[in-house]
Amino acid sequence: MTLHARELAVRASSGVSSAFAVDGVKRMAALAGVILLAILISPAASDGSRIFLDPGNLTDILRQVSLIGIISLAMTFVILTGGIDLSVGSILALSTSLSAMALTRFWPSSSYLAHICLTLLLATLASALAGTLNGAVIALFDIQPFIATLASMIGLRGLAKWITQNANIDIGFGQDVAAAFASIFRQKSLVIGSYALLAFVFWILLGRTVFGRHVRAIGDNETAARYAGLPIRRVKSIVYILSGLLAGYAGILYTAENSQGNPNAGVGYELDAIAAVVIGGTRLSGGKGSIAGTIVGTLIMGILTNMLRLKNVDSNVEMMIKAIIIVLAVAIQKQRRAA
Amino acid sequence: MHQSVLPRLVRVCCVPLLLFAALSCHSPNNGSAELRKQFFVAFSQCNNAEPYRAAQNALMTKLFSAYPDVRLVISDAQQDNSKQIAQIETFIRQKPQLLIVAPNERAALTAVMGQAMEAHIPTICLERDILQPNYTSYIRSDNFAIGRMVGTFIVDYLKKKYGAPKGIVVQMRGLLGVEAEMNRDGGAKSVLAAYPDIRIVAEPVADWIQAKAKDRMTEVLRVQPKIDLVYGHNDPMAIGAYLAAKELGRDKEMAFVGVDGLGGPAGGVRKVMDGVLAATFVYPLCVDKAAQIGIRILREPGFRPDKQYQIDSEMVTPANAAEVYKRLTVPGAE
Amino acid sequence: MADLLRAEKVARSYGGVYALKGVNFALRAGEVHALMGENGAGKSTLIKILAGSVKPDRGSILVDEKPVSINTPLDSQRFGLGIIYQELDFFPNLTVGENIVIRNLHFPQSSFVNYRRIDSFCRPFLDQVGFNGDSRGLVGALPIGQLQLVALARALSMNARMILMDEPTSALAADGVRRLLSLICALRDRGISIVYVSHKMEEVFAVCDRATVLRDGETIGTRQVQNTTTAELIRMMVGRDVENRQQTESSRAGDVLLSVNALTTGKLKNVSFDLHQGEVLGVAGLVGSGRSALGAALFGLDPVKSGDIRLRGNSIKPRSPASAIAQGIGLVPEDRKLQGLMMQMSVLENSTISTIGRMCRFGFISRNHENEMAEPLFRQLKLKSASPLSQVSTLSGGNQQKALLARWLLIDPDVLFLDDPARGIDIVAKQDIYRIIARLAEAGKGLILVSSELPELLNCCHRIIVLNQGRVSLTVDSSEASQELIMAAAISAQAGGEQQ
Repeated sequence: MTLHARELAVRASSGVSSAFAVDGVKRMAALAGVILLAILISPAASDGSRIFLDPGNLTDILRQVSLIGIISLAMTFVILTGGIDLSVGSILALSTSLSAMALTRFWPSSSYLAHICLTLLLATLASALAGTLNGAVIALFDIQPFIATLASMIGLRGLAKWITQNANIDIGFGQDVAAAFASIFRQKSLVIGSYALLAFVFWILLGRTVFGRHVRAIGDNETAARYAGLPIRRVKSIVYILSGLLAGYAGILYTAENSQGNPNAGVGYELDAIAAVVIGGTRLSGGKGSIAGTIVGTLIMGILTNMLRLKNVDSNVEMMIKAIIIVLAVAIQKQRRAA
Repeated sequence: MHQSVLPRLVRVCCVPLLLFAALSCHSPNNGSAELRKQFFVAFSQCNNAEPYRAAQNALMTKLFSAYPDVRLVISDAQQDNSKQIAQIETFIRQKPQLLIVAPNERAALTAVMGQAMEAHIPTICLERDILQPNYTSYIRSDNFAIGRMVGTFIVDYLKKKYGAPKGIVVQMRGLLGVEAEMNRDGGAKSVLAAYPDIRIVAEPVADWIQAKAKDRMTEVLRVQPKIDLVYGHNDPMAIGAYLAAKELGRDKEMAFVGVDGLGGPAGGVRKVMDGVLAATFVYPLCVDKAAQIGIRILREPGFRPDKQYQIDSEMVTPANAAEVYKRLTVPGAE
Repeated sequence: MADLLRAEKVARSYGGVYALKGVNFALRAGEVHALMGENGAGKSTLIKILAGSVKPDRGSILVDEKPVSINTPLDSQRFGLGIIYQELDFFPNLTVGENIVIRNLHFPQSSFVNYRRIDSFCRPFLDQVGFNGDSRGLVGALPIGQLQLVALARALSMNARMILMDEPTSALAADGVRRLLSLICALRDRGISIVYVSHKMEEVFAVCDRATVLRDGETIGTRQVQNTTTAELIRMMVGRDVENRQQTESSRAGDVLLSVNALTTGKLKNVSFDLHQGEVLGVAGLVGSGRSALGAALFGLDPVKSGDIRLRGNSIKPRSPASAIAQGIGLVPEDRKLQGLMMQMSVLENSTISTIGRMCRFGFISRNHENEMAEPLFRQLKLKSASPLSQVSTLSGGNQQKALLARWLLIDPDVLFLDDPARGIDIVAKQDIYRIIARLAEAGKGLILVSSELPELLNCCHRIIVLNQGRVSLTVDSSEASQELIMAAAISAQAGGEQQ
């Protein structure tokens, strides 16, 4: 019998359900519950079908959650190590500003392909650098992640505003490289596809690689991880670099979606990302959590928002309901663990 | 373990059920009578928090309430581009018969309004424009012309004060990159360019917000020993500048001019009546026209509106303030 | 004679698994009564029920022959029951006095904190137990021996007629144990009854009047201590005869594996010794004498001020645990929960965490490979868990320690330093662990074993060094050593108060 089958048999016979398996099932149940509710209260279209189930609407939801969803993937890793990254919104702002600048002002005589590639490279490099900065301060100088990333949140946004002179940089709808870039990276299929791809990659990274194991071990008990000889500094630095990279990519998508680079973009995105991670079952203290959970958390928030918007609920009421959901989600999961 | 799962399951189910119940009573558009209305008009507002926009909302609601077969829904994007894009996408799904958009920013909203057009939804673009003509009709007011009117007023005022067109002016600017901002600036400067002795010594940016304007003005007051006139690109900013000057005891030294000219006790017209503003320039809400063509679009299937409509402004001074006030004040716009 | 406290047919289950099936236990006035059993036998559960932190599913508890219901810890306080847990439950950031008077029914509670009043309340009890420290000192700063005294003082201050002590000597060195035992006798003479939960035969036979043995949640029997033997008690605990003494090979393989010369760190002063291949070297000493500090120095946790460490003749400088492991040195730390295990991860993951890099294929972890490497070790260690994927926090202390050992077996260092690996572990698991140590030695590794239990040091080790205030005061072959000799070397030349 393979290990997995034996494990299931043992669980079944002992009658004691492993907390882990129950967590996953109940999480899916929560998602299913939200979807069901959304279908139930969805307004009807003229032909009687539920607007919520319109394929266009469903893909809208996926597109609308993609940016936060992408950021949440890396945020899961950061939180799993017992840390937090408050600067992702500012890194996004930096990335979107740089990419818009690059497309409209730099390298005027390059070919479209080269220009776009250089733009992507610039934005990615800048975000990776920001992440490296976070990682260095946290891992090498041993500064608390909250404080370190709070500082970079403020500083990086200042940087973004400074290089753009606090002005938005519009990408036109003309025939230039910027418009070409926007038309490629704005496509729903590319946005949703890249979210799905990154989700898969990060799922593998967490569950099937040595790095993923180390991340969980360090968040679980950093002292024990040190005594076990794990490369703590290296792992911590890498998670913040990953966080920067994904925030940077989200910034690139943002530029295309909005046809502009905006140094004021991304305000509050870090909180949305953390909310998705937390609703998905990852503990803020680190050690326990999963990518699947984060994806479910992201989807639940996205479906809830869409559900409320289809009902034309005031956006302020929408925010209050979201707050209640976050607290409830965490409370329900706490009860499960206590058993 | 089994006996403890059931109560927990019940608890988990309670949440969505409660939500359902809450939403059912809370939804502003509940009731089958509402849903049977023939026409659904969706209005995507960029930011309810601005008084100008609140006035737009109030007037829009009032005008459409005269038509019992029209259901009007207003969404608030709270100055967030992504939110407005998502809200419009959701509206598109609901297939309204008319979509009205007050875009938050030109570039960001262009694509999604294109999507609305592709979905064959008649779209009216209100007051702010976008990068491409992705709309059925664009209703605007000529901010450049308003700017010119302000410039002319400034010249006349300074001539009266000093006998010659000279003086020191401070310009309080709104959100850079917005068409209104660029044109109110450009229009005024096009007039003032001919008068080299009228100097604009400071142009702080206060993003249309009164509190920010007060802070910026305080900084300017510390630096400038003498100021003759402050041109706020909207009334709240002009009022903020006034408050800053008052705090430092210099409010009598200069005149304050704004743009918007809203009715109601908080609006610019009132401030002219109260002597806070020397003048304001009405920035039409554009809603009258929107409602007018909107209803025609709904009722007359063959109606083709003009691509662009322009509404004119008017100057409000102490001489005509009271009359304008009565005319413009809409109940519910305060 | 009436029973002071009696538990009848007490049962308690957790999620379908029975911790207690129907246990009877009786305590008389003025006796010290041992409660014994392997880990998992139900002792802790019974204590928690008596303490009021857990409610029994069935059964009754009688105090002074009257049925009572103990629903909260305050109830047990009211009935005169004082509890001293193995994991002492103090507030480390509060003072000694505050810890004693919090929720103490015998201290008049008020809204204001008056340290003088607290001090005058606590002082007599602290003196009774021999605690010399300041009642305004923070609890978090005290070493564990002192903490136990404070716990006892707290129980006395609550006017306890019965004190339940859960493994009180597990963290004490020999002199602390001695002091505690004499304190217990003194309390008994004053009419206070004590329930003494312990594995340690010596102490049971030294101080207890009766002993009750639990096994698998049931009471096996109660004996008068003077009328029974170690062998009989063990047989009751285990259900079978168990080899209590470990015979070590008197021969040891030859070459010097590890050579430590004049090692000086923050706590160590000029420590020198050699460790040979295939040798188990014991380290004895009082708490605070530098035993753990030695491990910290070898494992790269404490910076070395002077002296050197040589492995197979090559000088090594462990700068961190990772570097120590790379250079062939391992450490099984003292506190497996805080320093050893990742409590939310599975047994398998904990064991393979340091070596998981070897179990990959194409860069991804191969679950099969992981199992293949770990399973034989689990079997070797006789690690009992529902499955390798269960969370390690659900395991008993002994099995947790085995999981930790499995990790080190996989890492396979040349030298392994074990800091009190058998602390708080039941007898059978202990045997398993010592057997593994012996086997490692046979395989040519060098092992350094720290323990406070002198009999075990003598049994398991080839040689023993004794540390005394950071210096080596004695190096001796175990065949030539005795407990008295070791104790003397550990205590000698102490000017003024002993270290606790």
